[in-house]
Amino acid sequence: MTTVDRGPDTSRENVADAKAAAAGLASSRKRRPGWRLLLGQPLFVAVVVIAWAIWRSQADLDSIEKRQLDWTLLGRLTLEHLKLTVVATVIVLAIAVPLGIALTRPRLRRAAPLVVAFANAGQAAPVIGLIVLLAIWLGFGFWTAILALCLYAILPVLRNTIVGLQGVDPTLVEAGRGMGMSNRSVLGRIELPLAVPVIMAGIRTALVLVVGTATLATFIDAGGLGGLITTGIRLLRYPVLISGAILVAALALLIDWAGRVLEEVTRPRGLE
Amino acid sequence: MWDYIAERHAQLLYQSYQHLSLVIQCVLLATVLAVGLAVFVHRNPRIAALAGGVSAIGLTIPSFALLGLLIPLAGIGTATSVIAVTFYATLPILRNAVVGLAGVDSTLIESARGMGMGAVRTLLRVELPLAWPVILAGVRVSAQMSMGIAAIAAYVLGPGLGSFIFTGLTQIGGKNALNSALVGTLGVVLLALILDALLLLAGRLTTSRGIRV
Repeated sequence: MTTVDRGPDTSRENVADAKAAAAGLASSRKRRPGWRLLLGQPLFVAVVVIAWAIWRSQADLDSIEKRQLDWTLLGRLTLEHLKLTVVATVIVLAIAVPLGIALTRPRLRRAAPLVVAFANAGQAAPVIGLIVLLAIWLGFGFWTAILALCLYAILPVLRNTIVGLQGVDPTLVEAGRGMGMSNRSVLGRIELPLAVPVIMAGIRTALVLVVGTATLATFIDAGGLGGLITTGIRLLRYPVLISGAILVAALALLIDWAGRVLEEVTRPRGLE
Repeated sequence: MWDYIAERHAQLLYQSYQHLSLVIQCVLLATVLAVGLAVFVHRNPRIAALAGGVSAIGLTIPSFALLGLLIPLAGIGTATSVIAVTFYATLPILRNAVVGLAGVDSTLIESARGMGMGAVRTLLRVELPLAWPVILAGVRVSAQMSMGIAAIAAYVLGPGLGSFIFTGLTQIGGKNALNSALVGTLGVVLLALILDALLLLAGRLTTSRGIRV
């Protein structure tokens, strides 16, 4: 490839990559995402949600709309959505980070490109198809949705873990060895801390992917705010539909923001 | 499954064609929009950074939420899916176009100017050709993403293979549910691979000879 072609963006080929590039990795290259964005995003979300809440408390709704937009129901759907997001992300972390570490150890290093290629190929499948197929296979419900979300979100974390660990300057590892550190303490005290920013970028990408995809969980009765959108469409009740869309978007932006904050907080202090 | 495909091959081909044509048209439109916008903003680093931010935030919004927001405006059907797919397709291309144009060596622009080229000619003959591989990488990302979003848009009666997936969902338990969902999903994967190959080929043909491998 030529010099121009070698841009940091050429190797990205799929949805996760698009989001990784746009949302995660780009900011890992920047030194600081800028506090204005870090404050502006939750502020914007707060304004939107408050405006919506004011509208909701005053709007003239018919009985169906009232039932769908009941405060306790809304709270429950939001909690379900968060639960889907958090559980799926935690499982993804528990699998992808250790796997990524294992795939950068000398014994398994050669398998790394293979695993990433496989994960990449899986990403080409449309997520709605994945969800429906898994539901046909395993039945409707929460854990089927979790499985689909995990399959979908594992790639960014896995790849960023591998890339982050491979990006550690080998002379630093050498220096650690020279100081008499064991393999394990080289990993724990040099490699992982240095790779944390890249790994965190992958985790944030996974969070954003999961919170968006969890919207589709309602199709297989796994709950979440997507239910408002499908109900709104099915009953042609625009207030329900738009409320659902606004709340989902607000939640996604908020999760994205939480990921950004997490990225800032976990960045090792020596890395600036 | 083969029986299923054989029985419905006409419908399957038609929906595949619709899916592919929706994605190609939206991605083309998105490319024009995004490159135009990038050309417009790339000289000003602050606005360019803003474009990057908008691209990141936009991709955060779940596609199903955007579809929901669009229905009251565009109704149920093709218009909504075209707008949604184009919206998401624009973002990665915009980001890559901004990055690509910013990555053009300023000494090259300087020398183009020195040779007497105007701003437009510099753009068309130096900057865009040099940024093209990066822009094209964005187009490939867009194309694949659009394939998935177009499938979701079938829920609001957008055209394409997503309708097979949703048929599978509604007929769950029936004997053709699995066939329908599987055909829809694999069809989208196949179309995504075909389109990606076409884009790679287009990339070979449209990349300036000087920077080709």
